[in-house]
Amino acid sequence: MRFVPVPLLLAAALPLAAADMTPVQRAFFEAKIRPALVKYCYECHSQTADKVGGNLLLDAAPEMLAGGDSGPALVPGEPDASLIVQAVRYDGLEMPPKKRLPPTVVNDFIEWVKMGAPDPRSEPVNRAERAPQEPLWSLQPVADPPPPAVRAAAWPRDPLDHFLLAALEQAGQAPVEDADPAALRRRLNFDLLGLPPPPDEEGDPRDPAYIDRLLASPHFGEKWGRHWLDVARYAESNGNDGLSRNASFPHAWRYRDYVIAAFNDDLPYDRFLLEQLAGDLLPAETPAQRDRQLVATGLLALGAKPAKAMNDNFEMDVIADQIGLVGSGLLGLSVGCARCHDHKTDPIPTREYYALAGIFRSTETLWGAAARQALTAPQTALHRLQTAAPAPPRLELEPVLLANPPRRPPAAPAFPQPPEAALAMGVREAKKIEDCKLHIGGEAKRFGASVPRGFLSALGGHEAAPGPTQSGRLELARWLTRPENPLTARVFVNRVWLHLFGQGLVATPDDFGVAGARPSHPELLDHLATRFMREGWSVKRLIRALVLSRGYQLAARPGEHPLFGHQPRRRLEAEAIRDAMLAAAGELDRQPGVGSLIQGRDVLINELPPLHRPSRQRSLYLLLLRNAMPPELTPFNLPDATAVTGSRDRATLATQALYLLNNPFVVGLSQRFGARVQAAAPGTDARVRFAYRSTFGRTPTDGEMQQARDFLREADLMLASTAQDEGPAGRSDAWAAFCQALLSASELRYVD
Amino acid sequence: MTPLSRRQMLRTASCGFGYLALSGLAGAAPADLALRPPLQRARARRVIFLNMSGGPAQLDTFDYKPQAGKTPHAGSIAEFRRRGASGLWISDLLPNLARHADKLCVVRSMTADTSIHAQSMLQLHTGDRLRPCPSLGAWVAYGLGTDNQNLPGFISFNTAKPAEYAAAQLPAIYGGTPIGINGEDMSLATLADIRGDHLPPSLKRRQLDLIQSLNRGHQNARGEDAQLDGVIQALELGFRMQTEAPDLLDLSREPRVVLERYRVGKNHAVGTCKASDFGRQCLLARRFCEAGVRFIEITHGSWDQHTDHRRDLTANCATTDAPIAALLDDLDARGLLEDTLVVWGGEFGRPGLTPGKDKDQTGHQHRAFTFWLAGGGVKAGHAHGETSHDGSSVVDGAVHFRDLHATILHLLGLDHDNLAVVSGGRRIRLTGLQGGRVVNEILG
Repeated sequence: MRFVPVPLLLAAALPLAAADMTPVQRAFFEAKIRPALVKYCYECHSQTADKVGGNLLLDAAPEMLAGGDSGPALVPGEPDASLIVQAVRYDGLEMPPKKRLPPTVVNDFIEWVKMGAPDPRSEPVNRAERAPQEPLWSLQPVADPPPPAVRAAAWPRDPLDHFLLAALEQAGQAPVEDADPAALRRRLNFDLLGLPPPPDEEGDPRDPAYIDRLLASPHFGEKWGRHWLDVARYAESNGNDGLSRNASFPHAWRYRDYVIAAFNDDLPYDRFLLEQLAGDLLPAETPAQRDRQLVATGLLALGAKPAKAMNDNFEMDVIADQIGLVGSGLLGLSVGCARCHDHKTDPIPTREYYALAGIFRSTETLWGAAARQALTAPQTALHRLQTAAPAPPRLELEPVLLANPPRRPPAAPAFPQPPEAALAMGVREAKKIEDCKLHIGGEAKRFGASVPRGFLSALGGHEAAPGPTQSGRLELARWLTRPENPLTARVFVNRVWLHLFGQGLVATPDDFGVAGARPSHPELLDHLATRFMREGWSVKRLIRALVLSRGYQLAARPGEHPLFGHQPRRRLEAEAIRDAMLAAAGELDRQPGVGSLIQGRDVLINELPPLHRPSRQRSLYLLLLRNAMPPELTPFNLPDATAVTGSRDRATLATQALYLLNNPFVVGLSQRFGARVQAAAPGTDARVRFAYRSTFGRTPTDGEMQQARDFLREADLMLASTAQDEGPAGRSDAWAAFCQALLSASELRYVD
Repeated sequence: MTPLSRRQMLRTASCGFGYLALSGLAGAAPADLALRPPLQRARARRVIFLNMSGGPAQLDTFDYKPQAGKTPHAGSIAEFRRRGASGLWISDLLPNLARHADKLCVVRSMTADTSIHAQSMLQLHTGDRLRPCPSLGAWVAYGLGTDNQNLPGFISFNTAKPAEYAAAQLPAIYGGTPIGINGEDMSLATLADIRGDHLPPSLKRRQLDLIQSLNRGHQNARGEDAQLDGVIQALELGFRMQTEAPDLLDLSREPRVVLERYRVGKNHAVGTCKASDFGRQCLLARRFCEAGVRFIEITHGSWDQHTDHRRDLTANCATTDAPIAALLDDLDARGLLEDTLVVWGGEFGRPGLTPGKDKDQTGHQHRAFTFWLAGGGVKAGHAHGETSHDGSSVVDGAVHFRDLHATILHLLGLDHDNLAVVSGGRRIRLTGLQGGRVVNEILG
């Protein structure tokens, strides 16, 4: 793709073109400037250079204005704002690098820029010849390809099946048989709700009504909201700021609840993004709606921030997190590289990074009190909600906080609030709306020209620049969700596909750029993206179509099939493993979590002992502190919530075994499960059947029954041979040991 | 190990990984940690990799570039002097390590493909900077098994990303076991849940057998399943780790003087220099090495001192210098250095500062940077390779990560050409499609 940077400053300050030049000006250029450029600059900054320095050409007037990695080389009429002048003055930039120019030549450049940089070299350079690039697939418009013809015409159920089957047939392969109802029921319940099916459920999982019931469950939002929280790098504390300080986010949970509700209400995805990026700027019909939209903007405030102390870059670091989220999370582009240099592979020039940065610079990010400690992030205000209930501190943490007072007394609140105030993290328009200056090489104090706020030109639609009185967040959100945006829908349908089929159509869900993977089924991806947008960006309709497809309902085999000819046997995520264990033991509290343990507590997590408390609630309501995640979840590859995570690591580790064998949560749960099994039925066989049905939703085979009897008998003997008073308190009995084995078995953690 | 678990391990091994094709090893493709003899002469039996994350400044540590000529150029800002009988140049920032100059083999001519941290770090570990591939430690454990069946073959302390210690296409049992995750307090890093006394030991073993039987039943319902093979093996290993790992991780019985020498608990976070309790990591590395772990990686970061180069570099050097020197002292005194290969380096280096310029900032430099190796059959008191006057390019003896990998495997008695697996129709090896070159010039 040919990418020509648009000289954004042209409108403001045009250079004197050849026709407008006075003879004196032309003579000055020819006598002073051209020879200096040729002599001192062309070696690295012309079309004849072996390697063009900083991507900047100085052998054509339009190129000087368009500039290179660091922005336009000059601003006509403004020597002090012109990089070329700063460079030859050795002021921040140093050019030529080896030797300073004689002062007279430096003065010539200043004089020349001052007179408007008259330059007769008006022919633009053909940059495309210099950097030929194949068109990036993901930036092409989303197509609406017709479903291809297939030989086994009876096989497909949904148009998407045509795409899957066509690829299989072309490869000379055939899909496996359909999953049996029990397996499909279990798969659907875990995929849509993150929970095992009730053991006695009998419904036909192929019946659309069965699926509609699941989609209507309040647990749907908990499961799919959690997927989004991975993208949103959601956590309830800042994480180590580099100086070991980890300030709590006592209001973050409101954003969690917003996300859950959004998925349950099937909030259209375009609206979902609009609210998260600019909810504060949207009209609201009711105070409750206003509150909801303010909470949505928490997305932009939840990032892990570095310490402010000794960091000139703090503000730009916060912006970098926000741009990274929009880039990797929403667009599947690693925009962040362009902070320091034009993107090496993707068409994202540094200038456009700072066009986006201007939007966030004109935005005030409200992360809260940051524990009111010096050296962490400075305190900010928070959104004050009108209808939401206040969230006073929980008593559970009182003893540990009293016993561990802050090592340094916290500062006075900079934004005091009455105790009954309901607060939320988020963003709002900054007091001052301003463009961002380009930071050369990403550094704090080397500025290039100011870049008008705007979007990424490679995605089109960037002409609609924000007005002078708005940050541009609302416009950014609208630009992201226009149907012509080639990435937003593609990236999201791929995320959904990945969670239902075990791998994405694009294997790198957060990178649709040149360095990312190519789609295995490009037409299917476009079909789904088109359909998704046509059907009003409805996430539930998208998921419904996918799970009703023949491809989804295939039987499972070990390992992934590159063409989706079977479903891969998949390990559950950390949250679902814990939830399934609790459900098996009959202890899972399925009520939605209310608030958070950390609510109302502005504290430094790193100064405190572990704050996690036993809970029977679903895992997504546990206390999710960066660098101190719940020990009940960390063994099974919980992400660290510092960056967008579209696809979780699933490695099998020996440390997982230790968790299953010794973790106090697992041991305690097994003991209670064992007691419940013994109370449920008289006689060993009935109890074993009860335990199996609770854990695996099936009855044991004859072999398994015999194995269980043998184990229980031997366990009793072993326990009897070790005198009771020898063992420590909290010993398990035989049934607890048996139940722990069931909870630790792979059958509980894997879904076919 | 009990005979029972051994039998089970073999049974497990025989029913999985049919897709693994392996050459270059004696016998069939392994899937357990049992000790395997190398096919060729081995100079090293184990590896300690000191992962210096972020891009250490080679021009202020090992690659001395004084000013030459009249025009100032990028070079060393630290003071250097010749050390030991070998006369190796080592900077004053590393006074303790300098004592060991005659043990070091400094490779000044490393080159990498990219100056993007994450990608180069991945390539340093796996040979590939984009796709998931097995980590060096996993390859070594796969090729040789390990001495102590009660411990993992590969342990990674203070790890950053799972992909850097992954088994990837190799059986899960060869993947690194992480202890402490970057960003956590490393002075507290341990193996969670390593102890449990809710059941008598005999019943814990019996319970494990029941779990494994359930797992095999689950697996056999669907035939071969590499993933569940991994689960079964990881469970077995985790169980056995309970016997030795708790004592190894417990430093409370180490004499005070030892803790002092390693600077255990001395955590000075300054700028980019993180509190990695590197002393504790070094001492744990020695203990696990003695206990028979094949590959140990410990990490300090970050050497990515873009701003405040002098301050942060000084802190990074001060934090790592004494602990590494203590580690080399102990390995030497115990006769372990002879067959333990110690490797020091990061994902790339940094350009130097130019004297007279009032800047204190350095960026990334992947075209020329420094690693050092010690023990395990490399030349001692030796410097390999040459860089240009300002250290910006390799003039002689370039060593790519691929070559370093080939050389490490060679020292361990493994052949990088043949140590491979086939997965998904692709033949995968550490040195990739291009292959590496054993750097014979640095072999002792």
